[in-house]
Amino acid sequence: MAVTLDSVFKQYVAPDGSAVPVIHIPKFALLPGEHVALIGTSGSGKTTLLHLIAGILVPDRGRIVFSGTRDDARGSGSAVVPYSTPPGLGREVDISQLSEARRDVFRGQNIGYIFQTHHLLGGFTALENVQLGMSFTGRRVDVGWATHLLTAVGLADRMHYKPGKLSVGQQQRVAVARALANRPLLVLADEPTGALDPANAQQVLDLIRTLCTEVGASLLLVTHDMTIANQLPRQVMLGELNQPQVK
Amino acid sequence: MNIFQLVLKQMRQRALSTWLTLLSVMLGVALAVVIMLIRRESAVLFGQTDYGFDIIVGAKASSLQLVMNTVYHIDRSPGNIPYSVYKQLTESPQFRPAVRMAVPTAVGDSYQGQRIVGTIPQLFGMEDDGITPIPANRTMQYRPGKRYEIAQGRVFHGQKFEAVIGADITKLTGLKLGDIFKATHGLPKPGETPDIHGEEWTVVGVLKETGTAADRVLYISLPSFYAMSGHDYAMKAQAAIRQGIDTSRANAPGPTTAYDVRPDGTIELHLPESDWALSAVLVKSRSPFFASQMMYVMNNGQQAAAVNPASVMREFFNTFLQPTTRAWGAVAYLVNAVAIVAILVSIYNSVAARIREIAILRALGATRRRVMLTICLEAGLIGLAGGVLGIAAGHLLGALVSGYFQQTIGEGIRWWIVSREEWLYLLSVTVVSMLAGLVPAMKAYRTPVADNLAGV
Repeated sequence: MAVTLDSVFKQYVAPDGSAVPVIHIPKFALLPGEHVALIGTSGSGKTTLLHLIAGILVPDRGRIVFSGTRDDARGSGSAVVPYSTPPGLGREVDISQLSEARRDVFRGQNIGYIFQTHHLLGGFTALENVQLGMSFTGRRVDVGWATHLLTAVGLADRMHYKPGKLSVGQQQRVAVARALANRPLLVLADEPTGALDPANAQQVLDLIRTLCTEVGASLLLVTHDMTIANQLPRQVMLGELNQPQVK
Repeated sequence: MNIFQLVLKQMRQRALSTWLTLLSVMLGVALAVVIMLIRRESAVLFGQTDYGFDIIVGAKASSLQLVMNTVYHIDRSPGNIPYSVYKQLTESPQFRPAVRMAVPTAVGDSYQGQRIVGTIPQLFGMEDDGITPIPANRTMQYRPGKRYEIAQGRVFHGQKFEAVIGADITKLTGLKLGDIFKATHGLPKPGETPDIHGEEWTVVGVLKETGTAADRVLYISLPSFYAMSGHDYAMKAQAAIRQGIDTSRANAPGPTTAYDVRPDGTIELHLPESDWALSAVLVKSRSPFFASQMMYVMNNGQQAAAVNPASVMREFFNTFLQPTTRAWGAVAYLVNAVAIVAILVSIYNSVAARIREIAILRALGATRRRVMLTICLEAGLIGLAGGVLGIAAGHLLGALVSGYFQQTIGEGIRWWIVSREEWLYLLSVTVVSMLAGLVPAMKAYRTPVADNLAGV
């Protein structure tokens, strides 16, 4: 699935009532199955951009268009369910034009999100945390796939552990599995290795990339760590892409 | 994972808070249910109109006291009436045609805290010999269509020191068929030295259970009641008072006994019948018209009062019990309101504490409506579970109340019956709880996801 941002503009209202432009991206495209590192400093609008793409926020102006199907994204021959288009929509979806409820459903079905810290739900086991995301899609919970993901991230023997009993690295691996639970077409990773030591960071990055490749998902990974960014095929400097002062 | 599993997980995650909220709902519902139960059952118990007799004739005093004393065997006797009243009812041309059946009773003594009632074998459907049955239409009923029946032995002889005991007496006192007992004067308070009469009665019969206060009574023949030491003096004194004679001069206790026992075991009382006294006479009239006429005449006379037990109990229920239970009902509803507010506060606080968690769920694809539904469902489940536990607890309290009633008036309540009103109440508690969940749910609904994911 491809994502195209076209003249996307977002501003916040400061406490003094003044408008603070945060995002202005004239053009950006993520190709189907592409893995891209988005590099930016703190406060440069990385998280806001990811929230806009995920439909958690809506731009004040501009279009964020998702196009293509799973088959498009993966190439022929993959035995997967066709891309689920919300009722009444065509093959191209401008997420900023959807109602909030439809954005939520669209996100649940098509986008996987990995936060900087895992943010798993403490009362749920690793397996339940992975299944949780599945339950919002309206599809049947696929326990086999959840188990496969946890095995793939090396937690086959920790599936029934609650997050409190896992190390930080293990928790982030559960979060990776959770993001992939719905076989998303796009994975948004917001500094997923930021809280990890180098060894764990490398492990988690490898897992994200491997699993994204397995499901045919595009990956947009935000980082300020060039060691991480350089391992992805394409790097985009947010500072060059984003021109908030230019309307 | 479906929405119920999600809700249950979240409730378990906050187990202490969930249990405490549930407990507050449970207490509120239990209180309301036990009040509903008592209101319903007291209407059955005290508001009943189905006595086997329609008039109680007794001393001119409190009607309620007369009924409580005669039917439920609680409270003190309001006083005595001359035996001649009973004779009048059964023999005088004025009353005879109106009376289908009349049974005299005399109270004032006890055995191990259980009341002794002096009466006639006709109460149990037998002639004076205690063996020969009388026609069914002349047998007194304790409820319409229900007559006293003997479970073991036989009915006492009308002239002997014999007794028939209620179904619970063996359990309460240990007395059984063939045992001999002595009566205690009055009903001594705990720690008070009992004044035990010298006469002895033999238990010749045990009644079948009636589910009424009669199960806790020892019935003896009327002459044997009068034969008790001291009763003759008291009755002579009462007769003298009625005749306006100075009792201090007229009736000092004599050295002689009040009775002799004939060779066949029957009692020959020395006390003349004119001095005999009764606590009450149970009357079954031939028709409601006769009953009201008889009550009118009796109540306008000097000797005795006649009351309809059903009217007295209905009045008691309407003027005392109903307003009391209504007041308690209002208290119960207030307690419930507090419990519902507790649900609201508890879930509101939990939502406030889970705001980031809700943002995560939203980021994973949970819609606002789903999050709202989850919270309302949680509130509804707490209301439902608290309500169900409250109903169970209310009925257990009802069982305790029933035990208390059983001990005091000899009749329990049907504490196990869950009424339609209670089911509706449970439904309303659940719905109101869900509505209470709407307030925190709206807070969750309005949670800005991006703000709460910031720094995550």
